[in-house]
Amino acid sequence: MSARAGALRRFIGRRRTQVRSEGAVTPLQREMEVAPVDIAPNDPILAYFQTASGAVELESLHLESPARDALLEAGVRIVVPLITQGELVGLLNLGPRLSEQEYSADDRKLLDALAGQAAPAVRVAQLVRQPESQARERERVEQELRVAQLIQQQFLPRELPDLHGWHVAAYYRPAREVGGDFYDFIELPGGRIGIVVGDVTDKGVPAALVMATTHSLLRAEAPRLVEPSKVLERVNDLLVNDMPPKMFVTCLYVVLDPAAGTLRFANAGHNLPYVGAEGETLELMARGMPLGLLPDMTYEEKAATLAPGTSLLLHSDGLAEAHNPEGDMFGFPRLMGIVGSGGAGEALIDNCLKSLDSFVGASWDQEDDITLVTVQRYGSGVNRPPAAETDGSRVLTQFELPSEPGNERRAFALVTESVQELGLPDDQLEKLKTAVAEATMNAIEHGNHNDPRIPVGITASVENQDLVVRITDEGGSDILSHRESPDLEAKLEGRQNPRGWGLFLIESMVDEMDVTSDGTTRTVELIFHLKGDGHGR
Amino acid sequence: MTNEVLSVRDGGPGAAIIDIKGEVTARSEDALMAAFSEANESKPHAILLNFSDLEYMNSSGIGLLVTLLVRANRQRQELFAFGLTDHYRQIFELTRLDEAVGIHDTEGDALAAAGAS
Repeated sequence: MSARAGALRRFIGRRRTQVRSEGAVTPLQREMEVAPVDIAPNDPILAYFQTASGAVELESLHLESPARDALLEAGVRIVVPLITQGELVGLLNLGPRLSEQEYSADDRKLLDALAGQAAPAVRVAQLVRQPESQARERERVEQELRVAQLIQQQFLPRELPDLHGWHVAAYYRPAREVGGDFYDFIELPGGRIGIVVGDVTDKGVPAALVMATTHSLLRAEAPRLVEPSKVLERVNDLLVNDMPPKMFVTCLYVVLDPAAGTLRFANAGHNLPYVGAEGETLELMARGMPLGLLPDMTYEEKAATLAPGTSLLLHSDGLAEAHNPEGDMFGFPRLMGIVGSGGAGEALIDNCLKSLDSFVGASWDQEDDITLVTVQRYGSGVNRPPAAETDGSRVLTQFELPSEPGNERRAFALVTESVQELGLPDDQLEKLKTAVAEATMNAIEHGNHNDPRIPVGITASVENQDLVVRITDEGGSDILSHRESPDLEAKLEGRQNPRGWGLFLIESMVDEMDVTSDGTTRTVELIFHLKGDGHGR
Repeated sequence: MTNEVLSVRDGGPGAAIIDIKGEVTARSEDALMAAFSEANESKPHAILLNFSDLEYMNSSGIGLLVTLLVRANRQRQELFAFGLTDHYRQIFELTRLDEAVGIHDTEGDALAAAGAS
């Protein structure tokens, strides 16, 4: 109705009427623009015009209608409704006759005939123009969506925290009408890290703006207060005064101590996080009201330990509260089942999304933003789940070991076991063992200074025609380029330390060796060609 | 493994044999040095290292052997090795330890080379 009423208003607004100039002998005609008349969609005159049979004389129309009065005021005497296929598509408005005589029956007949011709033509013109105006409206809505998305994305973390012994993964998929989800990682004193997942009620630009505010408040208060319950209390107090009506923010805030494997958390009405380990799923329960609803709220604070090999999943309700075409909800039990089924990191996220896809079907229109954050603690010496095969490379094993002397033996035992399927000949296996052992020793002693809290990371993968073993430590930017070749004579004569054979040995065992650093993490890459010069199969 | 005592045997006239067990790494330094001292009690002119039961040797272990070699040189003793796998034999070659230590397949070969049999 609104588009049609708009068309009607414009039609009236463009009415031109010709009046005789005052007192002139010559009938000098002058064109005069009449002020536009707006007809409200609920004005009873519209219903009257709709059913009128022909021209309507306004003065003899007795109707409580603001539009009638406005039309009379504008000098309109006769209105001829333009009706086609039972629809009122416009009005033909006429002022008094130039002769100042009344409109005759013939005049009315002529007008009716004209209206009968004009109405379909007007309708056709409207139909031609309609897509234009609809497109403009769509463009406006799209523009607003883009603004909301832009705000949203501006506040999502650019990168994931890199924690030794831990793997953090995150996933965010906005609904078409952006829903106000957010997540964040905040560096805290003492090597701890704050992990936030939140959801603003409402959608679009208003939700995005509240999300941005909450995000900034959390960033400001978290490093100062640290304790999760105190942080939420403070942010609630700051938000509550300026919150638009009917809006609030649910938020789960976790403080992780990666070195100790412990976490403390508080909850402002958000979905409870799940911990998955060995086929079981635990719910981490903490109570508290959403942020921005009521002043002076307190928040329960709980603690938990993430044992090696366990995973934590934080999630917004876009996943658990998704509905399928039958109207059934994805549900929390289903999600808990997925968390307990063993995947971690990206694999866990992938499992959630695959399960969602098969639940909602292909034609699903995502109802709300989906946010998933996983925090996985690696088990010492326990194989990480092998990564998916990507661009011709396949991970055979991936694990971490504490930096304790002697652990190089575990390193080569695990690597040797993982390469069994390659069927390497014995001499090649021995070289692999020695190279992995030496590189791991180097990482333990020189990279991580025998500090058991700092793990050595080891990955073995097949990449194209190579077996590649990567060993990482915290050796900083020292890429071992200044090394001196060991010389037995010099050592025997006391001019060189008897030791210092490690890198020389590695280089002698592998086909290629490469040392790189990002400034903190140093990676030694050992490459064994599986084809060619008689190695491997 | 770390505090293991390595057995030292008489290899005939002027020769002592150290039976290496397990690993030769930084952690076996005490055991190896103790065995070397024990072997020296008879003032042999040749010391033979039996690697038949070697499980693992790393670069620190090679460093230890260099230290032993320095001491042996100082005492004008010869070092011999036998029972090495192909892999560790290759490492002796790569490090050129094979030029300073007489490498042999068997105990008998090594004793013969040491002039003790």
